Amino acid sequence: MIQSKPIMVLGIGNFLMGDEGIGVHAIEALSKEQFPEYVQLMDGGTGGFHLLGFFHENDPLIIIDATIDDEPVGTVRVIEPRFANDFPRTLSAHDIGLRDLIETAVLSAPLPKIYLIVISIHEIRSMVMDLSPQIEATLPVIVSKVQEITAKHSR
Amino acid sequence: MANRIVVDPITRIEGHLRIEAEIKDGKIVDAYSAGTMVRGIELILKGRDPRDAWAFTERVCGVCTTVHALASVRAVEDSLGIVVPPNAELIRNLMFATLYLQDHVVHFYHLHALDWVDVVSALKADPKKTSELAQTISRWPKSSPKYFADVQNRVKVLVESGQLGIFANGYWGHAAYKLPAEANLMGVAHYLEALEWQKEIVKIHAIFGGKNPHPNYLVGGVPCSINIDEVNSINAERLAYVGTLLDQAFEFVNQVYIPDLLAVASFYKDWGAIGGGISNYLSYGDLPMNGYADVANFKIPRGAILNRDLSRVHEVDGKNHEEIQEFVKHSWYEYEGGDEVAKHPWEGETKLKYTGPKPPYQHLNVEEKYSWLKTPRWKGHAMEVGPLARTLVAYASGRKDVIEEVNGVLKALDVPVAALFSTLGRTAARGIETKLVATWAKEFYQQLLTNIKNGDSRMFVKDMWEPSSWPSEAKGVGLTEAPRGALAHWIVIKDKKIENYQLVVPTTWNASPRDPSGQRSAFEAALIGTPINNPDQPLEILRTIHSFDPCLACAVHLYDEKGRYVHQLNTF
Repeated sequence: MIQSKPIMVLGIGNFLMGDEGIGVHAIEALSKEQFPEYVQLMDGGTGGFHLLGFFHENDPLIIIDATIDDEPVGTVRVIEPRFANDFPRTLSAHDIGLRDLIETAVLSAPLPKIYLIVISIHEIRSMVMDLSPQIEATLPVIVSKVQEITAKHSR
Repeated sequence: MANRIVVDPITRIEGHLRIEAEIKDGKIVDAYSAGTMVRGIELILKGRDPRDAWAFTERVCGVCTTVHALASVRAVEDSLGIVVPPNAELIRNLMFATLYLQDHVVHFYHLHALDWVDVVSALKADPKKTSELAQTISRWPKSSPKYFADVQNRVKVLVESGQLGIFANGYWGHAAYKLPAEANLMGVAHYLEALEWQKEIVKIHAIFGGKNPHPNYLVGGVPCSINIDEVNSINAERLAYVGTLLDQAFEFVNQVYIPDLLAVASFYKDWGAIGGGISNYLSYGDLPMNGYADVANFKIPRGAILNRDLSRVHEVDGKNHEEIQEFVKHSWYEYEGGDEVAKHPWEGETKLKYTGPKPPYQHLNVEEKYSWLKTPRWKGHAMEVGPLARTLVAYASGRKDVIEEVNGVLKALDVPVAALFSTLGRTAARGIETKLVATWAKEFYQQLLTNIKNGDSRMFVKDMWEPSSWPSEAKGVGLTEAPRGALAHWIVIKDKKIENYQLVVPTTWNASPRDPSGQRSAFEAALIGTPINNPDQPLEILRTIHSFDPCLACAVHLYDEKGRYVHQLNTF
């Protein structure tokens, strides 16, 4: 049997900045659910270049991140970007932006299948660790999106 | 008429940085540095369990997460009188060294090299000549003409597709680029190799810290156990893997990073006289070899240098109220006692008082408060922190290994000691330090193996773990050196909870606004006199600011002499 790469769910964001940390909160919520052992949950925090390895060691890679865009606050979308240019520029920066990270990852090896779950937030708030009610309410939505995707790739 | 240039970074990790600089006759004549985002971690920590503080502070910054955790656990240990076991100290040193190796290499290749290496020019290089060049400076095996031709083709595909991607933000073709095409191609090839390599070295964080990014720390020791025979702890196999990664790091640093650094620097010796700035340097030191209390046995010594006088190293005490102090005269905070007073971090206050313009704005009123960064001073002096400060303090302290490396680099480049006080000096010091850390890391590793063989498996002391054993009031300081400079956390514990917590981070030392007496901090001072070849493409500003390795992403906005917006560049 060919050993395939694990599936990784990677939540990114800064939980010291309110809704910006939704990706990290989502990983916490997901950790209370049951997943097969080939699904790994990773709190990527504000990891920047430290996250680069995950792009080459997992397939598919499910990324959860906040965005400030024109969608109503609390919108949860699943994007399936194929090229670096498909990643929205509006995604939160985390020092090294997610798009920068992907543009870098693609330089050294082909990207895995990526699902990007983006949550539209209103603002980044410093000094706040709680989620606003609207964003808190997206957690079950995110969990079910992840479950759908992992089910589709069940082994 | 002076041109006004604004550098306005976009990161949200440690706070945005904005620089307003005035240009006259092709040179910067004045500069103002502003942190435009409030951090506020101090407010989040108040009232929490001191033993948890590391997990919060680790999230302040996306780049040097582990050193914040280290400063935090040390501050708590200092306040409660906890001494960690030798193995814990060694593992902390290994975590520290891993961060330096990864962070300095990433800084050189991915955040700074493209200020010196022209990616587009690399397309014109002759792969055969590039191969000859590479083989002259190093025995690194990936140096065949075919290898460089392949790299060139990969870059060509990117350029031709119009998707330069991460290379898109350069000022390619700028007159200040001086490398021959072959050196540019070698630089680009190693940019890509460094990316691959850095993914591996950070695995040491995951082995000792349970995960990466944001590995685990623990007040009283380290949160891992070593048992040679057990699958679930750090066993012989995983320890051996750490050894392999450290060997690979040593090889990469010595055969790729250092030769590249010297090759690039040899074309930019004029930068050994640009970007010097203030003449005082501060290092808290780190890498204890005999416990954290024994400062004399730190691999990176503690001390301060004033007026570039390398014949004298001043002692530094993080607890002395007269030494490290912060001002808020030009910062958006208020102090009880007013804007002229300075406060030691134990008495530090974080009371926000924003008086700046409502964004978006064109210029800050630099006569008033203009930054979210406070202004730290050591005995009233503005201090530069970072690899150059550490290297100078070690050099002046008579550390033989450091002196040997520094002299070797000066000789190889044929420049005087004074060339260290510059943009080039900062970039060279980072490389020198990386080489030393790569050597020291192997020493820590061997010592750890020896301790384990001798039956010492202690990783944690639980003496003061229970809050019931704590005094009703305690305070401490945790000093360390982030890759980008001196980092410290001060804690005041009252009734088992955090009463006050203050961080003074490296970028605050370097990027802070003027103090009440008008003294500039490092960024503001270093930019003065920097030549600007083409105001539409201020590559030279990036060189000097990036040489400090600021913990921020930047966007450069340019203004013409009437203050009109001309051009914007996003970069980091």
